[in-house]
Order: sequence, then C-alpha cells, then structure tokens
Amino acid sequence: MNAPLRRAEIDLDAYRANLDLVREWMDPVELMAIMKADAYGHGLEPIALAAVDAGIRWIGVLTVPAALRLRSIGVSEDVHLFTWQHDPALDFRDAIDSAVDIGVSNVPELQRVIDAVDQRPARVHLGFDSGLHRDGATPETWPALVSLALDAQRAGRIEVVAAYTHLAESSDQDDTDAVALFDAAVERADDLGLDIPTEHVAASLAGLERKEFRKDMVRMGANLFGIPGADGVSAADLGLEPVMTLTASVAKTKRVPVDTGVSYDYTYRTTTETTLALVPVGYADGVPRLAQGRIEVAIAGKRYPIAGRVAMDQFLVDVGDADVRTGDAVVLFGTGEHDEMTVLEWGEALGTIGEEIVCRIGARVPREYQGHGVEGHVAEYLRGER
Amino acid sequence: MSAFTGITVDREALIANYGRVAEQVAPSGVIAVVKANGYGHGAAEAAQAFVDAGAEWLGVADIDEAVALRQAGIDEGVRILAWLHAPDEDFRRAARYGITPAVSSVSQLAAAADSEVPAVHICVDTGLSRNGAVESEWAELFATAGRIVRGGNRTRVEGLMSHLANSSRADDLDQDAALQRALDGLAANGIVPDMVHLAASAASIAVPETRRDVARVGLALYGLSPFADRTSADLGLRPAMRVTAAVLRTVPVRAGEGVSYGYTWRAETDTRLAVIGLGYADGFDRDFGNRVSVRIGDRTFPVVGRVAMNAMHVDIGDADVQVGDEAVLWGDPANGDPAVEEWAAAVGTINYEVVARVGRSVERRTT
Repeated sequence: MNAPLRRAEIDLDAYRANLDLVREWMDPVELMAIMKADAYGHGLEPIALAAVDAGIRWIGVLTVPAALRLRSIGVSEDVHLFTWQHDPALDFRDAIDSAVDIGVSNVPELQRVIDAVDQRPARVHLGFDSGLHRDGATPETWPALVSLALDAQRAGRIEVVAAYTHLAESSDQDDTDAVALFDAAVERADDLGLDIPTEHVAASLAGLERKEFRKDMVRMGANLFGIPGADGVSAADLGLEPVMTLTASVAKTKRVPVDTGVSYDYTYRTTTETTLALVPVGYADGVPRLAQGRIEVAIAGKRYPIAGRVAMDQFLVDVGDADVRTGDAVVLFGTGEHDEMTVLEWGEALGTIGEEIVCRIGARVPREYQGHGVEGHVAEYLRGER
Repeated sequence: MSAFTGITVDREALIANYGRVAEQVAPSGVIAVVKANGYGHGAAEAAQAFVDAGAEWLGVADIDEAVALRQAGIDEGVRILAWLHAPDEDFRRAARYGITPAVSSVSQLAAAADSEVPAVHICVDTGLSRNGAVESEWAELFATAGRIVRGGNRTRVEGLMSHLANSSRADDLDQDAALQRALDGLAANGIVPDMVHLAASAASIAVPETRRDVARVGLALYGLSPFADRTSADLGLRPAMRVTAAVLRTVPVRAGEGVSYGYTWRAETDTRLAVIGLGYADGFDRDFGNRVSVRIGDRTFPVVGRVAMNAMHVDIGDADVQVGDEAVLWGDPANGDPAVEEWAAAVGTINYEVVARVGRSVERRTT
C-alpha cells in the first residue's frame, strides 16, 4: 500500500551523521550512545545496529532485558552495553554471561550481582548519587559500596569498569557542585584502594556545554536523535538532523458550510465555507489533546492548525480553499525542510521536551527505516536476516 | 518478593462491566470497542474478555487493528467493525479476515464491494465533522449502495452508523434526527439496514434515545466514566486497569535538596524518597510531577520532581517503605487505590487519554 494511515520515518543516515558529528566534538573523549526507551521511540534494534555499523563501542540501554535483546541479534561483546536500572527481582546471571555492563547503586544490589556470578566476572559500574536522587550510592553509603566492590574484585567475582553519576542540569552551579561531589567520591575510592578505570558523568546537555565534565566518556541520547536540549538552540544551529519524521495521509476531505462544529464538544466552528481534512493520528498515537491550538501540521508545504479536539485516533485541520485531497501527505513533525515543525518545536509548544514527544509515539505508528542501503548489520536486520 | 511493575487488567471487571452496560442499553445491543490497544488495556485480552461476556461485535478504528485481533485468536464467529481506512484501502484484507468495514464515501463503498466483503456499514457525518460522509454526499452514496445491492453483488449494506459530538443533549438529538434522514435516504434506495448505531459510552448512558439498535461502547467497558461529574462507582462500573510499580530504591534527602531534572521540587524538611521505574517514555507525563499521588501500603504519597524518561520520585517521609514494595499509581478507588481521573485532572485532560497513552513498553498482565 502506498499511502499508509500514519508512519514514523526513521532516517538512519541522519542518525549516523549525528553520531559522527558528536564524536568529532567529543574527540578524544569516548561516546556512549544512549538508546533507552526503545531508542527514544525510534526502535532499539535498527538504531543500535546502525551505530554498531558506524563503529560505536559503547551503548547505554537502561535495562538488562534491552541489552539482552541486542546481544540476541548479534551485537558482539566488543560493544559494551551499559544498564543501570534494575527490577528488584531481576536475576543478573544472563547479563553476566552476556558481558552486559551493570550499573549498581547500593550494597544489596551489588551483592545480588556478586551472588549471580558463575564463571566470568561481572562487569560493574559503580553509581554515585550526586544530587539527582534517582540512582547511585549517596555520599554516606558510597564507602561501603566501594569496599564490597574492592573485595569482590580481589576475589575475581567482578571487574570494576567505571564510576558514574547523573547530573540534574538544574543550574551550572548545581552541576558544578554535583561533579565536585563525584570527584570526591572517586578520590575516596582511590583512598580505599579501588582504581576506577573510567569515569562518566555528562549527558547530552552538559557534554556539549561543560567540557570539563566530559571525563573519560560522555553519554548522549537526545543529540543523536537531533533533539538538542539547550534553550533556544535548534538542531540546525548545531548541524544535527532530526531523525524521526511523523507523517500521515489525509484520510478524507469534506466541504462544510460556515459555522460547522468540529470534533467533540464543538470547540471549533468554521468561520466560512471551508474544507476540512481528516488526519488519522490521535492521542493514542502520540499527538496529545493539548496539541489543539498549539500545533500546526504541514500539507504541501503549508501549515494548518488543528481544528477542534484531538480524538483518540484522529484530528481535523481546516484547510480553507486549498486543493487538499484524500491521500495527500501530512507532515506532523520532521526536519523542517518542508516547512513542517520540528519535534523540538513541538516540545516547546506543548510545554515539554522533544524527548517526551518521540518516546510516546504509539505502537500503531509503524516505524519505517530509511538510509540503510549501505551494507552492514542494520541492513541484514531490516531484511530479516538477524 | 518484589512488586510487579506494569499494568494488571482485571478480567472479571471487564466481564462485569460488559454485563452492566449490556443490561443498561438492552434491548439495544453492544459493539465492544477495543481500538487503541483496548484503550491501553491490551486489545486481544480485552476483546477475549468481552467475547466471553457475550459480545458478538467488536469495534476498532482501522483494519490493522482488526487483523491483529483475528491473528490473536478472535474467531470469525465474532464480528469486527473497522471504520478508519487508508486512502487507497482495497478491503481485500478485510474480506480475507472476515472484517466488516464501515465506509464513508462512494469510492470506499465501491472498493469494498469489489473486494466482496460480505457486509459493509455506511458511516455518515451527522455533525461531528469527522470521517462520515457529509449530508451533501448522501444522495450519491446511497444511490450507489442501492445499485450495488440490486446488482446482485455479494456485499450487503448491513449497518448505518454515525458518531456523536457529545456537545449537548440538544446537539446529540439533532444528530439523531440527521441519522433518521440518512435512514430515510437509504430506504428510498431500497435499503433497510439491520444495525443502526450512533451512541458511544457517554450518550448510551445520558441520551438513551440515541441507543438505536446497538451502542458502540469503549470507555465504560473498561470501567471508566465518560462524565466529569459521575464516578465509575456512580455508574456501577469497576475500573479494570491497575498500574503498579516496585520501589527500586529509597534515599534520604536533606531539607533544601532538589530532586530530579531541573530540581523542580526541593525538600522542605529532611525526608526520604522512593524511586519507581516508570517514566514519561512509559506514558506517564513529565508534568505529573508535583501534581499526583501514589499509594504505598495504606497511605498515599506525592510524586515529586519532574517525571524522568523511565523513573519518578515519591516523597515517603518517614514511612516504612522498602525496596520491592508496591506503589499503586491508579486502580479502582473502591479498593482504596488512586483514581485515574485524578491523574487526568492533574494535567488538564480526560481519563481516555491517560489510559490510552500508557506505552507499549509497559508490561501488561491479566488476572
């Protein structure tokens, strides 16, 4: 079928270009490509394989099950897969067997990892809570975590790969304070006799703006998807390309008279005789009800606001007398090349961030991958060979 | 023992709700609507529960959803209606999988007849301005339908449907009157559909005159109220979705310390936080932070700080909360759980949106 109801086009060339650009900026610091939340809604497997094809050595995926999905499609152990949020009931055996890097936050968690070790030692990153209060050991509990790690490493049960923290990006001063706490923690580990080979602290925003926070490795997610995080900075300003373009096909057009009520509760009424175009994407697909009055979509290079309430499966646009027909392409967000909004602009218009928009594009929207003509793992995967 | 992180759908509640709705709209029938992954509850499981409760009809938005139900094992003894179609839909899949399309235009009707689907419903716009045929198109559409039927085609016109705007009782009754004009138009072309359907959850309860032959009911079957001023219990319904998460960690914070990205919340006194592993990527708005509460044990505690991509924080004070404990985001208020409507109101939306947007990343299980 040529004109699907809706789709998210994922441009793997754009992803690779962003990856190359960011690596150039970070050089010689290592880059960990963050792909949690199903690669921010872009689809974990194709994004990961595209990154592997581009030579990435570190991938962050949040959870062990996600890391194991990547190992199962042939992401080799040369590529380190970092995980750091674990269900309290998780059995770490498969992660250890598959050489998945495990971030640990506290003594009981590390003990569970140690207890799960059979033959090969577990690869462990020690998490430190520098103020975000999400994961990591607090300054008070850090020495006990380090001591346990030291003992387990000496016993050959684990290999301490790194120490890490997450920054809150609340203010420059807060982040400076947080990194100072982290530095003190690493020093404390050293005092206790534990060598920390790698330190990673900064994510997308701080990695760009605070060179001194880059340490040995920077973790980046949003920038790689073309969604920069700094106020007032567009992807284009930085040379990044948005990776996801959300499109739909006009499912119906209708000519209606003046003062026609549109969608639930008739919150919009036509002011002249006009044409309404039905866009088959609704809040279940990731266009929030809040988008009414805030979002415009592009049809043939022209912007139209949403008319009336966004419904579960669809919304309408008032296209006036424009020659819009059933089957015409509607671009909801994309690169901006065809006068559509970018996802960054969606985030701003909806009082949130672009990451929330792309992560929440729903399951009914098929992801279609473009730019994988090159040979490599991702091409094999998309042909169903992995 | 660690708590389950994900959605637990109460099958008995789905079955009871179906019974309640069926009884209320009788002698009209019910089309059980399971679009948008069963309003976030899991389409196949919800559909099976409704079928087990006696549903003969299921409704979805598009043919992909309908095919997925067939592939999940809903057999062709159960009818499935789909009404939102791709522009060049040829309806061959609909024919192959025994799916009944509702068509809104002459070209859709002709394509459906060519595909030899056994039956179609005709969808007309009586005021919502969405995907039905507008009144100016009816004459041609109904004449085409008449020709198809008289021509001995395999496809019969089984139903006529429209969708209400729920704007007001008067507007809904105006739409019902417009639907009657459509019925008269069809009759003039020799077609008397067996199934006329207009009302969805709200009108099937509030405007009984619009029930016609069958009501298309979604939200109420999941145990939720379509009305701002009436609860599930008021309507005799039981919310079927319960969202829980295991506490991943507890952490003490000192007065003045900030929490989560941007430090949008700071502790007023020394306190403790619990972290749970659900975030905006899972369908929980970034803006829920500082606006909603979760239940842990017998108490409720506020969600504080910005909801992150995969985690949120709860201020637990000095309560005895341990790693692995269950936090209930929402469930059935009759059991003391927070109501999903509290979450909806916190961000200025409706329960429909909150349940439908819980992400595919969240594990779903049925009890």
